[in-house]
Amino acid sequence: MSDRPTPSPDAMIVLDGVSKRYPGQDKAVVSDLSMEIRRGEFVVLVGPSGCGKTTTLRMINRLVEPTAGRILIDGRDVTHVDGDELRRGIGYVIQQIGLLPHLTIADNIALVPKMLGVAKSERRARALELLELVGLDPALHADRHPRQLSGGQQQRVGVARALASDPPVMLMDEPFGAVDPIAREKLQTEFLRLQERIRKTIVMVTHDMDEALRLGDRIAIFDSGSRLAQFDTPLEILSNPADDFVRDFVGSGAPVRRLSLLTVADVLGTAPSTAAGAGRAIEVDPGDSVHTALEQVLAAGAEGIEVAVPEEGSRFLDLGTLLTAASQPAKVLT
Amino acid sequence: MSTAAMTETSRSAAGTERKSRTWVLPSVVLALLGTLWLYVGSLDLDSVEARSLAGDVVLGALWQHIQLVVVSTVLTVAVGVPLGVALTRPGIRRAGAIVLAAANASQAVPSIGVLVLLAMIFGVGFWMAVVALVLYALLPVLRNTMVGIRQVDPALIDAGRGMGMSTREVLLTIELPLAVPVMLAGIRVALILNVGVATLAAFTNAGGLGSVISSGIALDRMPVLIVGSALTMALALTVDWLAGLAERALRPRGI
Ligand SMILES: Nc1ncnc2c1ncn2[C@@H]1O[C@H](COP(=O)(O)OP(=O)(O)OP(=O)(O)O)[C@@H](O)[C@H]1O
Ligand SMILES: [Mg+2]
Repeated sequence: MSDRPTPSPDAMIVLDGVSKRYPGQDKAVVSDLSMEIRRGEFVVLVGPSGCGKTTTLRMINRLVEPTAGRILIDGRDVTHVDGDELRRGIGYVIQQIGLLPHLTIADNIALVPKMLGVAKSERRARALELLELVGLDPALHADRHPRQLSGGQQQRVGVARALASDPPVMLMDEPFGAVDPIAREKLQTEFLRLQERIRKTIVMVTHDMDEALRLGDRIAIFDSGSRLAQFDTPLEILSNPADDFVRDFVGSGAPVRRLSLLTVADVLGTAPSTAAGAGRAIEVDPGDSVHTALEQVLAAGAEGIEVAVPEEGSRFLDLGTLLTAASQPAKVLT
Repeated sequence: MSTAAMTETSRSAAGTERKSRTWVLPSVVLALLGTLWLYVGSLDLDSVEARSLAGDVVLGALWQHIQLVVVSTVLTVAVGVPLGVALTRPGIRRAGAIVLAAANASQAVPSIGVLVLLAMIFGVGFWMAVVALVLYALLPVLRNTMVGIRQVDPALIDAGRGMGMSTREVLLTIELPLAVPVMLAGIRVALILNVGVATLAAFTNAGGLGSVISSGIALDRMPVLIVGSALTMALALTVDWLAGLAERALRPRGI
């Protein structure tokens, strides 16, 4: 592996030429995969079923032992360290949630701190604090058993449990897969807000492309055999798909989906200024998504948007100009 | 009578138990014992019967019986649970199927045959009877321990491993507690089995209520036979009732 470039200093998780071949199989599920995930980044792994997403994720905490390659976490080579100890320092959330039914919610959350030898009263305090963090009333839920909670509530507890020892890295395998679509969207939104506060390095597996686009700072799209087809920001993947596989995987509707990722500020650069005053304009913020802006324009029956730009004062874009600018794939500001 | 006394105290101890129907078994036992008491009191016992049904003779037999059941069940659990756990560990899991098959087959051997065979090999007496009882009652404990552990949701074990539990910690904090209800059911079956099979211990000179029954048969005295059988029944019912209470108390909450 000496021919590979040394990881950048802000890399939190590095997969360096990692492979996995399960015993008794002649083809590797993951072969020679290299990825770098930065500190505080939210990376989503997507790909067709059976392409090795779960295997890749579980190699990071060594629930699956790689057959070749190295794994570095925070600069430390963890390929051969004690697996149990490694896992105590990494949050892990699974689709089945896996709360222990015979323990109370608070005890479930306190499992890892208990293993780490944290005192009882401290564990309890931590559990209550985490329940609060994931939006569950501690007074109401701490002493209940998992069975008494709804699926969405259980999933929040699953997240709280993974956060219990304040690990810098969280691994999540289809964490929102087991809840109904409405609850899922709510959980996603809340989780994004939570991530803004806690800034963990998160690797999440999903096979829902919309979820990936909503949540990921960057998305890794895998082809079968864990070939990394593209690893980039959602906007870049929608704008410049690396190949036909990615294009197919993202599916139709990419231009429309881009609109919710593109901000008004992004399109201002490419859009020619139109003379203001012709019609009614809706005032929008440069940070608003183009999708939101369009929605407001259409709802109000207005003819364009008015954006306040710090140096130039205010700019007017009519609907046509806005759409043309937003549909240009090449220009992406980051 | 000591069974009745035992029944009474246990009942008041368990008085706080929620759930209905916990009183059904003890009242059946009390009714049985009461009827037996009246029946024996109404009889004109001849000297043979009076000797066989003397208080110390009957109570001694009952006490021996209880000892046989308790000692053999404790040993059964001490052997069956660790063995069952070991046979679910990866690596020797395949041996588990073989052991279960063998244990199942052994269950088909009539208990009296086992007793006599063992008596021929090891001689007679209390401990020989205990060995036979343990061999006989091992299967439900072994099987239920294995089944109880195997039925634990793999996702829970995965979650445990994922948060850094060692296989031992997974066993102690996840697998065993969740297997407890099934294991207890097996232990309960072993207990009841032992109460019944222990009557056969009389044939190997180990005493117990079986000796009351067999002397009733040998002496051709119906009242003696009836007392022996009825006490065995009352003991079996009481043990079942106590085991039920224990099962309820020991089952982890939340499952
Ligand atoms: N423990 C195992 N032993 C043998 N083969 C396995 C094992 N786990 C996974 N595989 C195989 O490896 C391949 C990749 O599995 P993996 O679970 O990583 O896929 P995935 O991308 O997570 O799929 P999904 O979207 O269905 O969850 C599959 O073909 C699977 O059958
Ligand atoms: Mg998977």
